Amino acid sequence: MASERRERALVRDAQRGSVEAFEQLFRSHWPRAYRAALLVVGDAAAAEDIAQESFLAAVRALDRFDRRRPFGPWLHRIVVNRAIDWSRARHLRRETFADGPEPAAAERESPGRAQALAAGLAALHPEQRAVIVLRYLLEYTPGEIARILDLPRGTVNSRLRRGLDRLQEAVRE
Amino acid sequence: MKRLFDAIPVDAEAEERGWTVVRAAFAAREPRVRRSRRLVPAIVVVAAAVLAATLSSPGRAVVNAVRRSIGVEGAQTALFRLPAPGRLLVSGAGGTWVVSADGSTRRLGAYSQASWSPHGIYVVAASRDELAAIEPSTGEIHWQIARPTISSPRWGGSRTDTRIAYFTEQRLHVVAGDGTDDTRLPPSRRVVPAWQPGTNEHVLAYVDVRGRLTIFNPDRGVVSRLSAPYGGVRDIAWSSDGRTIALAAAHEVVVFTVSDGRARSVRVTGVRAVAFAADGRLALLRGNGVLLLSHGRVRTLFVAPSRPAGIAWSPDGRWLLSSLPLADQWVFVQTRGARRVLAVSHIRRQFGGEPSLDGWAPSA
Repeated sequence: MASERRERALVRDAQRGSVEAFEQLFRSHWPRAYRAALLVVGDAAAAEDIAQESFLAAVRALDRFDRRRPFGPWLHRIVVNRAIDWSRARHLRRETFADGPEPAAAERESPGRAQALAAGLAALHPEQRAVIVLRYLLEYTPGEIARILDLPRGTVNSRLRRGLDRLQEAVRE
Repeated sequence: MKRLFDAIPVDAEAEERGWTVVRAAFAAREPRVRRSRRLVPAIVVVAAAVLAATLSSPGRAVVNAVRRSIGVEGAQTALFRLPAPGRLLVSGAGGTWVVSADGSTRRLGAYSQASWSPHGIYVVAASRDELAAIEPSTGEIHWQIARPTISSPRWGGSRTDTRIAYFTEQRLHVVAGDGTDDTRLPPSRRVVPAWQPGTNEHVLAYVDVRGRLTIFNPDRGVVSRLSAPYGGVRDIAWSSDGRTIALAAAHEVVVFTVSDGRARSVRVTGVRAVAFAADGRLALLRGNGVLLLSHGRVRTLFVAPSRPAGIAWSPDGRWLLSSLPLADQWVFVQTRGARRVLAVSHIRRQFGGEPSLDGWAPSA
C-alpha cells in the first residue's frame, strides 16, 4: 500500500517535470520490463529497444496518465504488446543484423534449468510466451492478463495451460 | 519458475543507455503547467506593444532595415517560379512541401524531414514517430511505419529495388523500399547517411562512432571501413556517378575514390555541408559563404549577408539554392555563365515555418 502511494507520488512529481521522480520510476521498472521483453523476443538487443521504446511511449503519454491507476501494468502492457508485435514481424520477414544477432542473455549466461527454460520459451508462440511472462515473471492474475492483452479470460487460461505443458516437456528433456 | 526468471541478468550498460535516451526525451517534453493568471494580461500587453511597434511605419522601417542587413537586397516578395526545371522538396514546422518549377506548391503532410526516392518517383517523409512513403503528385501514403524519434530519412537503390536509411534516437536503420525488413546498424555518428547512386547494389555510406567513413551493403550484411577516423565530421555526399564520396571534417574536406580507396584532402575548416552537382563540382557551405571545389581548387561562389543553411543543386547543375534563415530568404545562385543571384523573401509565410532544403529532383 505504502509503495503504491509512493509510486503515485512519483508519477505526480514526474508529471510536474521532476526528472528525479521519473528516474526512480525508470530504475524500479527497467529490470522487469527488460526481462519481460527478453523472454518474449529472445534477443537481447531487441529487448533493450523494446524496453526503451516502451519508456519513451510512457514519457509521451505521461501527461495523460491517470494517477489513480498503477504505473506497472500500464508499462507492462506496452512492453508485452510491443514484444509480441516484434516477434510476429520477425516471424514474417527475415531480419539481418550487420554484426550478427546477440544471443539472449538467458541463453548466454544461465546454465542448466534456466537454459532449458529459455529454450522451451523460445519454442513457444510469442502469444504463449507473453502470457507465461505476465503470469510468472510479472505475477499478474489471469484476469489482469486478459485486461492487459485485451483477450477473453478463457483464451488466457488455455494459452497458459498449453504453454506450461510445453515448457515442462522442455525442462524435463 | 519465478526464481529462474529473476536470475536473468540485466545488462547494466543497457539500462544506462536506456536511461540516457529516456532522460533526453523526458527533458525535451514540456510538462503541462498552469499559467499564472496574472501573467496572461502582461503577455498580451507586451505582445500588443510589439505588434503595434512592428505595424507602425517607424517599426516596419526598423524590421526592414534589419532584414536588408542580413538578407539579399532586391529579393522577390514571394516564390513565383523556380529558375530551373525540376521539383523542390522542403520540410519544416509547416510540414513537407513539393514546389514545382512553375512555383505551385503541394503540402504532403505534417512531416519534419523528407527525401526523394532515387528517381524522384516517391518521397519518404518522417515525423517524430512515423516514417511514410508518399506519392508526391497526390499526397497518397503508400505505407507508414512507427518508430520512436525518426530523423534523416534517405532513399536509395535502383528502379526495381530500393532501400531507405533513417535514424531513430539511438541507431541508424535500413528498411526495404516497401517498409519491410528493418535492419539495425552498429552504432554510428549522427551524420546524415548517403546512398551510392548509379548502381544496382545497395551501398550506404555513413560515419561510424569513431568518425570513420563506413560502407554498409544491406543485401550482404557487410560493413567495411573506407577511411581512418576524422574529427568533427559534419556531412558526407556521393558524386552523381557514384565513383567518389566527399566527407566534411572539422579541418578539411576529403574526397575518396571508391574503386581504390584513394583520398584527396583539401584544407578548408568549418565546412558544414557538401553537395555534388551532376557534373562533379562540389559545393561547400562554410561561414557565410558557398564555395565550389573543382579539380582540387576551391573558389568562392557566393558570400551571403548572413549564415546560409542547406544547399540544393538544380537537376541541370546550373543553379544552386541555399536558404538564409535569419533573413527569411532563399537565394538561387547561377553557377555557370554570368553570375546571377535571385533572392526570394517571406519563405516562412509561404511554407508555414522555416523549411529545410530536402532535395531538387528532375521533373516527373
